Amino acid sequence: MVLKGRVINAGSVTAEAVVLDTPFSFIGDFDADTGRLLLGGHALEGESIAGKVLVMPTGKGGTIAPWIAFEAAKRNIAPAAILCRKGEPITCECAITIDIPMLDSFEENILDVIETGQRVRIDGDTVTVE
Amino acid sequence: MKLDQYEEDMLAGKHGPGKRRCMELLTKFGEAMGADRMVPIRSAHTMPKEPLELLEDLTEGVDRLGAFTTIHPTMSAFSLRNWEQMGISPDFAERELSVHRKRQEIYKKAGFYETYTCLPMLAGNLARPGERVSWIGTGLQLMANSILGARTNRDGTVVNLAGAITGRAPYYGFYEDENRKAQVQVDLKSLDVGRMDSADWGALGYWVGAKAESRNVVFSNLPELDLDRLRYLLPPLSVTGSVGICHIVGVTPEAASLEQALGNRPPEEIITVGPDQVEEARSLYARGNRDVELTIFGCPHCTITELGVIARLVKGKRLTPGKRLWIGTGHQTYALAVLMGFAKDIEDAGGVFASACMSAIPEPPIPASVKTVSTNSFKAAHYISRLTRGAVEVWTADLQECLEAVLD
Repeated sequence: MVLKGRVINAGSVTAEAVVLDTPFSFIGDFDADTGRLLLGGHALEGESIAGKVLVMPTGKGGTIAPWIAFEAAKRNIAPAAILCRKGEPITCECAITIDIPMLDSFEENILDVIETGQRVRIDGDTVTVE
Repeated sequence: MKLDQYEEDMLAGKHGPGKRRCMELLTKFGEAMGADRMVPIRSAHTMPKEPLELLEDLTEGVDRLGAFTTIHPTMSAFSLRNWEQMGISPDFAERELSVHRKRQEIYKKAGFYETYTCLPMLAGNLARPGERVSWIGTGLQLMANSILGARTNRDGTVVNLAGAITGRAPYYGFYEDENRKAQVQVDLKSLDVGRMDSADWGALGYWVGAKAESRNVVFSNLPELDLDRLRYLLPPLSVTGSVGICHIVGVTPEAASLEQALGNRPPEEIITVGPDQVEEARSLYARGNRDVELTIFGCPHCTITELGVIARLVKGKRLTPGKRLWIGTGHQTYALAVLMGFAKDIEDAGGVFASACMSAIPEPPIPASVKTVSTNSFKAAHYISRLTRGAVEVWTADLQECLEAVLD
């Protein structure tokens, strides 16, 4: 399946998807020591997003989130790319700071068409689900 | 995005690698936000806990910042001057100090003003109505938009730093008139505002923020408030919600009337707040046992008038042995408090001053012996109770009660 999105930060990467159904923040939802999700009772609690394509509805809050993303990227535990329905300022800032591909505004609801564990190839404005 | 010649030159690296990297970040971010151009900013206010490598990267070749830039308090209660008196462990202090000294070298070389306060408008960075700035700190962003009428977006730390270095920001969001209009109207009913103490004001903001979420707010019928009440009321709106502007009719420069604040449109929602709602928020940080080990003031930083109030209440008294009093205030305000004699009264009683952030404090630096904290700040109560993951219990009360809890 091939999807087209709006490019927030350009790049190419192929990696496994982690599809989250709730808004994500690098502050609070992310273990900056391990790259795993901290989501309380959520089914994806403890799932690593290090080197993965993080798929989510949107991001949320936290002015220092770009620093946390930066430190995570330095230690190779940041996500490899972010795909979302709608990119809000702080998550865009994180992706641009650590220079990972980020796309939003797909015609499809990406939470419905990508499943956790699928391999996803991102190249420019094109996302291929393998 | 359309750039002017200076912006093009920065992007082409003609003003050094740091400014080039900053312009790359800003143009990409601006395009993502739908901005069609950059605008100059009058001033910036940045946060002093940058990852060193990032700070070095973005300031490479920069010997002059693009905008007058002040600095937020040192993070998490860590006072550069007197951490030992605060009971902060030497291991923690040495880690913080070694990195901070390296940041300071960069601050001095590039020309950051080391104000270390969350009230930069009281320390030489007075943004005026309509001026575009890039200020950090969600509470300060809200105060800049709502009290000063200056215009700042809710920038993150990297876009903010890039703005300070280049003097530019993408034109979007709160820079545009249309995005500043109130959406939620708050009417106070049966609330005796004359009798509300500092914790009540924080509780009011805390309750309203949760209802407003990310929408713009207007308070329709508040009386004229001094800065001390405003700084307890406003920041909690950006704690339980992510409110970026809260008009107060008669206070906010662009809210001479309710109609002006709303942009001559009906509000999306009208929220009525009375004593029950304030009490509901107060009950979140209420406890029966008033035996606390640490009282924290200064979130946001204490003003000189508030230091005068504290000085009068503690003059000639002493803290109970083993108890602590931490007061966050800008080092400029501290210098004035020394001159006025307030600092001596407070320090003789056992209190310590820190030009540091009194909000998001985990342990450490909160000493291991501290199990209960009292504060009059709802923002501090919220973050301290969460960051210490239940190890520290936080109780909110008015300033005088918080003091009595640690005085002999």
